[in-house]
Amino acid sequence: MSNLYILYEHAAGYGVFRVREFEEIGMLLPQVEASVSDISRFNSVVKLVGFSPFKTAVAALESINAISEGILPEDLQHFLDISIPKSGKKEKSTLGVGDPKLGAAITEALRIPCTHVGAVPEIIRGIRHHFPNLVKGFTAKSSAVAQLGLGHSYSRAKVKFNVHRVDNMII
Amino acid sequence: MGKPEDALVTLNLVPGSEVYGEKRISVENDGGEKVEYRVWNPFRSKLAAAILGGVDQIHMPPGSKVLYLGAASGTTVSHVSDVVGPEGLVYAVEFSHRSGRDLINVAKKRTNIIPIIEDARHPHKYRMLVGIVDTIFADVAQPDQARIVAINAHHFLKNGGHFVISIKASCIDSTAQPEAVFASEVKKLQADKLKPQEQITLEPYERDHAVVVGVYRPPPKQQAQ
Repeated sequence: MSNLYILYEHAAGYGVFRVREFEEIGMLLPQVEASVSDISRFNSVVKLVGFSPFKTAVAALESINAISEGILPEDLQHFLDISIPKSGKKEKSTLGVGDPKLGAAITEALRIPCTHVGAVPEIIRGIRHHFPNLVKGFTAKSSAVAQLGLGHSYSRAKVKFNVHRVDNMII
Repeated sequence: MGKPEDALVTLNLVPGSEVYGEKRISVENDGGEKVEYRVWNPFRSKLAAAILGGVDQIHMPPGSKVLYLGAASGTTVSHVSDVVGPEGLVYAVEFSHRSGRDLINVAKKRTNIIPIIEDARHPHKYRMLVGIVDTIFADVAQPDQARIVAINAHHFLKNGGHFVISIKASCIDSTAQPEAVFASEVKKLQADKLKPQEQITLEPYERDHAVVVGVYRPPPKQQAQ
């Protein structure tokens, strides 16, 4: 038996979801595609395993800087380690991720096999669609506030550390 | 409004402040309240040119979420921020750090703009910052623009969501006829489940530009119509 987990990275923290049992991976895709717009149907596809919010804005910025480069941040490594059951003889766990580079880093550090193809991008689309409804105590508003704060700090840092800054000012 | 000429305007989200030296117009509404509008120049904004050119829909009603690719200094973005209003959101992506600095400053005053200084070719880099959106607007002026829109749609655009793309013929292929370039771009979009519904040129505001509006993964019943 194989269990498929999905990692979803949000501006507010990390979420791990478990995809409910299914027969074949090939069978999953049409089912997910049809359910992606409908929260009640999507709820029958995935279940939240855990959500790990960022403790501070600094932690969030460090995380997005790593994630965007495909590097596994320490806090994510720890969170995945406790959230995803180790593959045993009978049960195997696979983690669906949005970026193959991050997947490779996770496999190397935690020995969890990762995938980013097939139904995975479609499930992540669905999670993105319904995220505020999937995590308790979360709203569309608080989701946007987190994105706004992190968008500013991420972008500001990008511009600040631009080596061409002085040249740009003259132009 | 008692003005000598007609002008396209947007209701200023931040009354009393302008973004790039545009004119502001204050009027009294029916209730006697003062409201302020900002003039939106079609010679400076392709989206404004498309609206004045008579495009049917830009699919950015109040409260909607828009992913804006190629945000530049944020001048057009500021009008989109007016249009979607305080309940809406504009995820504004711009790769150039020089323009990005201006964009961040615009976003400081307008809290419905989320600035993202990153390459629109790599949406996975900013996947933590963007939620599902109703509409993607793209003005990236790159030869692989159709692909850029397609991968962003796959990450962030809801089923049945819309796209609005400005295509500059000379950025795709400077030797071909503009009409041929527009047709081939439309074909590329169709291959990625982006179904074009409307196409207009931006004459007389821009030369050899087209704006294409369409729907992503339309629901089956809409296809039957």
